[in-house]
Amino acid sequence: MWVADDDMTLEGLGTGVAPAHAGRRRGVGARAALRWGRERLATTPGRLVLISLSVVVGAVVFGAIAIGAEQSRERAAKAARSQTEPLLVQAKNLYTSLSDANATVATGLLSGGVEAAANRNRYLGDLAVVSTALSTLTRAAGTAGNASAALGTIADQLPTYSGLIETARTDNRLGFPIGAAYVRAAALLMTSRMLPAADHLYTIEAERLNDDYRTGTSASALLAFVAASAGALILLLLAQWYVTRISRRILNVAMVVATVVVAGVSAWGIVGLLSAQNALKNAERNGSDSVEALSAATVLLSRAQGDLSLAIVNRGTDTADPNDFKVVRRVLERPGGVIAEISALAGRTGTPAAAQQFDREYAAYQAKTRELTGLEDGGQLTDAIALAPQASAISEELSHGLAQQIDAAQARFKRAAADATSAFDGLAFAIPLIIALAAVLALIGLRQRINEYR
Amino acid sequence: MRRPLLYLAGIVLLAGTLAGCGATSDHALNLTLSALATPLAKGTPSPPSKNVNCQRATASLRPPATLPAPNDMPAASFMAQIRRKGYLVAGVNTGAYKFGSLNPATGNIEGFEIDLVKQVAAAIFGTPNRVRFVALTVPQRFTAVEYGRVDIVADTITITCYRRTLVDFSTVYYNATQRLLVPTNSGVRDIHALVHERVCASASSTPIDVLKAMPSQDRPVPVGEPQAIDCLVALQQGTGNIAAISTDSSILLGFKAQDPGTEIVGPSLYPVPYGMAISKAHPDFVRFVNGVLARLERDGTWQQLQTKWLGQFHQLEATPKPQYDG
Repeated sequence: MWVADDDMTLEGLGTGVAPAHAGRRRGVGARAALRWGRERLATTPGRLVLISLSVVVGAVVFGAIAIGAEQSRERAAKAARSQTEPLLVQAKNLYTSLSDANATVATGLLSGGVEAAANRNRYLGDLAVVSTALSTLTRAAGTAGNASAALGTIADQLPTYSGLIETARTDNRLGFPIGAAYVRAAALLMTSRMLPAADHLYTIEAERLNDDYRTGTSASALLAFVAASAGALILLLLAQWYVTRISRRILNVAMVVATVVVAGVSAWGIVGLLSAQNALKNAERNGSDSVEALSAATVLLSRAQGDLSLAIVNRGTDTADPNDFKVVRRVLERPGGVIAEISALAGRTGTPAAAQQFDREYAAYQAKTRELTGLEDGGQLTDAIALAPQASAISEELSHGLAQQIDAAQARFKRAAADATSAFDGLAFAIPLIIALAAVLALIGLRQRINEYR
Repeated sequence: MRRPLLYLAGIVLLAGTLAGCGATSDHALNLTLSALATPLAKGTPSPPSKNVNCQRATASLRPPATLPAPNDMPAASFMAQIRRKGYLVAGVNTGAYKFGSLNPATGNIEGFEIDLVKQVAAAIFGTPNRVRFVALTVPQRFTAVEYGRVDIVADTITITCYRRTLVDFSTVYYNATQRLLVPTNSGVRDIHALVHERVCASASSTPIDVLKAMPSQDRPVPVGEPQAIDCLVALQQGTGNIAAISTDSSILLGFKAQDPGTEIVGPSLYPVPYGMAISKAHPDFVRFVNGVLARLERDGTWQQLQTKWLGQFHQLEATPKPQYDG
């Protein structure tokens, strides 16, 4: 390991005999370098020159490792804060709004030929959120192949879907039962093509955020930073130990200052990395974990409500909807299921009141749906249909409550993610600056000793 | 020299521990992603139909010479049980326009079959409104009767020999036939104009089997949809390149009533006699219903109901002649 650097040439010491001139064969160059090294090792000033070289090389190498480690974590934390998590929220908006739109129209078309205005507005509001999320995600997807394919599926099918829904509304107003067949066709398009695409996108975004969390809290980056800091300090201490041994002076001021600033920036860096890691972990545990669990609950609740309404729309044609209703409820309610996770996260994040309110409303929803399916099975279809808007209203309250909880979790995420990125402030400048300063100080210190041999 | 190295080793160890503590957990992520990936549940599949032969499939039990008066059912009869319960439970179609369908504007189930069931209720209770309607899927139509979930089913059920092994049927209350529905501008007048054209029918139904049984060189290409009404959606939307729909005339006249751009063409392709399904455990109720049906035909109620619901189509099919076999 050698560096042919003219700046390093020290007068009167013959260091100008730089090896590896152009045109030389490699073996010759290596032999020349070895000879040059052996010659330097033979004398004290020669050894001092070698130490000077090592300090510079060490500063460059350890500095690069430390900066690389710091940068990988800083980039990940910044990406989580300002790219991947906001995109996850958009993917969540897309998913929940598509799902809600499907449940809303099914319920609305049940309630007679003239759909309630509130229901219609909710459907149109869902479609508006879908458009916004689609364009945001499309801008961000860039060339990511599978994400843009999924976005394409949703964008392509959305006009067909809304066309089927409008035909269903018209038929319904005319009193034609084919309206139910159009709702069924639209729901099939939604559940078999559009929602799987939305799920795919959501999964991609959730995994990207998770990758940022992993990189932003990776142990290997922290260890690399610590090892690089330690390496730089050991090198400086070794240099001082040798200088102390060959000279009568115990302290070399320049080198001591170099050691102190390296130790200082190392400590700063380690504290910064650890507090950023802590904040990022906090962003995940108290923020985005809740956003994810609450979003899943929103989507699954819409699916259950859609199944409930579609079961009435599809009465007498298929049992897929009531079957799916049971399956979805099991996923929500089972021990260790989504609702249990929401409660656990509410306990972790210190917001148990919201989760308790959700549990109360959910119990009311369960009771209402039991009443409804009981009426339907017992041949009181008209009464069951009359009850459907009540079930839908509770489901809307539930998703409204979930949306509020998501907003709160999102605020917690933003605070913690801001802490995570601000912990890096200044480090990216300070590390190279201080390493360079330390190297210069060390060289000055060594130069003083070398000059004593002139 | 040893001590600084020891300190540094200690720092590295400490950093490693701290980094380990800060490791993130994928629990919430994995749980939510797998919950969201819950596959769509499927419907309960229909059991396969069997080939059974019988004589005079449409013959039913002879009604009593005189029907008991409403609210005066013979003590041990099934009708008396129904009367005590307070209402008749009937399995019906809620998607067959004009036969049995839910009116979206009123939320009521209405149609020709519904009015016939109400007449049965009127014969028991003296008032036609003591009925609860249950929507049933195709396979449920028979199990619901067998297990007593409903008292009677009037749901465009074709009487077949195989189905007679599952339930008892009333006499024929409507003589539907399999026909073709085409767009008015198609110029198609019968099935011969549809060779190698795509003709839609409900998958795994008698109509699609009838199409498949035609000699392959001069028959249409059968296309199956889950429900016959899905064929009309496909025809209106222009998906699947459908030239015609083939199913029961009762269903097709409901389609035409919902879409003036279509017409029913050609002669009958297959007879489709409808009967009401009743449990084999209640022959007294079968006889009673047959008596009600015979009376409706005698006193002109039948014809009135046909005109009310089927309007210009009320003469499309021949009036059924009840057949009895004991």
